[in-house]
Amino acid sequence: MDNMQQQFIEAGTLMLAGMVFVFAFLSLLIIFINTVLAKLSVKFPDAVVESKPRASKKTSKAVSGEVSPAVVAAITSAVSSYQRKHSQSKS
Amino acid sequence: MESLYTLWMSTGLANFETGQVVMMLVGCGLLYLAIARNFEPLLLLPMGFGAILTNIPVAGFSEVGGLLHYIYYAGIDTGIFPLIIFMGVGAMTDFGALIANPKTLLLGAAAQFGIFATLFGAIALNAMPGIEFTLKDASAIAIIGGADGPTAIFLASKLAPELLGAIAVAAYSYMALVPIIQPPIMKAFTTEDERKIEMAQLRHVTKIEKIIFPLGVLLATIFFLPAATPLVGMFCLGNLMREAGVVDRLSSTAQNELINITTIFLGLGVGSKLSAEAFLNVETLGILGLGAVAFSIGTASGVLMAKVMNKVSKEPINPLIGAAGVSAVPMAARVANKVGLEANPHNFLLMHAMGPNVAGVLGSAVAAGILLALVGG
Repeated sequence: MDNMQQQFIEAGTLMLAGMVFVFAFLSLLIIFINTVLAKLSVKFPDAVVESKPRASKKTSKAVSGEVSPAVVAAITSAVSSYQRKHSQSKS
Repeated sequence: MESLYTLWMSTGLANFETGQVVMMLVGCGLLYLAIARNFEPLLLLPMGFGAILTNIPVAGFSEVGGLLHYIYYAGIDTGIFPLIIFMGVGAMTDFGALIANPKTLLLGAAAQFGIFATLFGAIALNAMPGIEFTLKDASAIAIIGGADGPTAIFLASKLAPELLGAIAVAAYSYMALVPIIQPPIMKAFTTEDERKIEMAQLRHVTKIEKIIFPLGVLLATIFFLPAATPLVGMFCLGNLMREAGVVDRLSSTAQNELINITTIFLGLGVGSKLSAEAFLNVETLGILGLGAVAFSIGTASGVLMAKVMNKVSKEPINPLIGAAGVSAVPMAARVANKVGLEANPHNFLLMHAMGPNVAGVLGSAVAAGILLALVGG
């Protein structure tokens, strides 16, 4: 019974030391995130902006240079239907 | 006639002991849980099969010269397998949600109370006849409350290798049971209104933060708790490989092929510890009971901490995410999300719960380091 009491005391100390340490350690990480990482994120923001103009360039290129087959098909069908209607109304 | 007798004596039927048959049935039970119930199948399937193999009479799988004997000593006794798995877990972990809301680290810390409170339970069980847990045994059992398989196996292999089989079975069974164990506790400690709380959207986390974070964690561990560096170090290595963006091949290997190969051997190795003499005793029942207690206390203390933080903090915090502090990634976070959705169908807590969830992994690794430093010496 004495032995068990001894063990309970040891377990109690272990619990106290353990919980204090876990909280202290993880609180340290909170401070680390709020100070070091926060500053770093301001100094070195992600380079996301670059990819956007590239994408828009590509689309503008496609429009000015080669006209896509879908657009060609749409224009052709529109023109032909217009001509057909036009010729029908004339006759 | 004599040769016939010798042949008979070399069959399994002639050599079976009752304990072996029971343990094979336990192995079949684990296979059932894995295949039919989908309980942590990746580990329980090889573990169950390992339990069957190790109890085959005459074959001597777990004796010197046997396959499982070498797998156990090469990978688990040395601590290598759980550490490799921890590296893979690191490579799968995204700390983004945690860095975006660092307060949630406190939830991961609070949930570790389950571990330390269970120490008392383990020692109190010594009053029962047939149970004699030393402080080392109690610490190895208590880590089940960390809800982290590799950490539990690592610590048990260092502090109480004879209890490893039962501890691993308990740890993985309860991790699989998270969706059943946690919701009633979460609901008991929160009100309907609290469960409805919606949280502010998380901020964007830059790449540089994600790269520096694992290095910072490692540095803090080196300074303050070197005993935890095997676990934390491998975890941070895996995470750095993921976030650095220059070693995608290594990161992919760590979180796929390597972790899968290691899981097969880890399962078999743990299964080899499921022998009749090590498993069929009152202590195993005690361990299974204490594991459930550890889990429940961890969940409750996480939820209570989140309640306190919700009262103190300016930004609202849904107490349900506190339950995810027990780790069990990502199951516990999914459970928090599900219980939250039941109360408020527009409330998606998953990303918010991932913060305490990964904080719980760090928390249990730190707790394991503390137990190793204070009890393991």
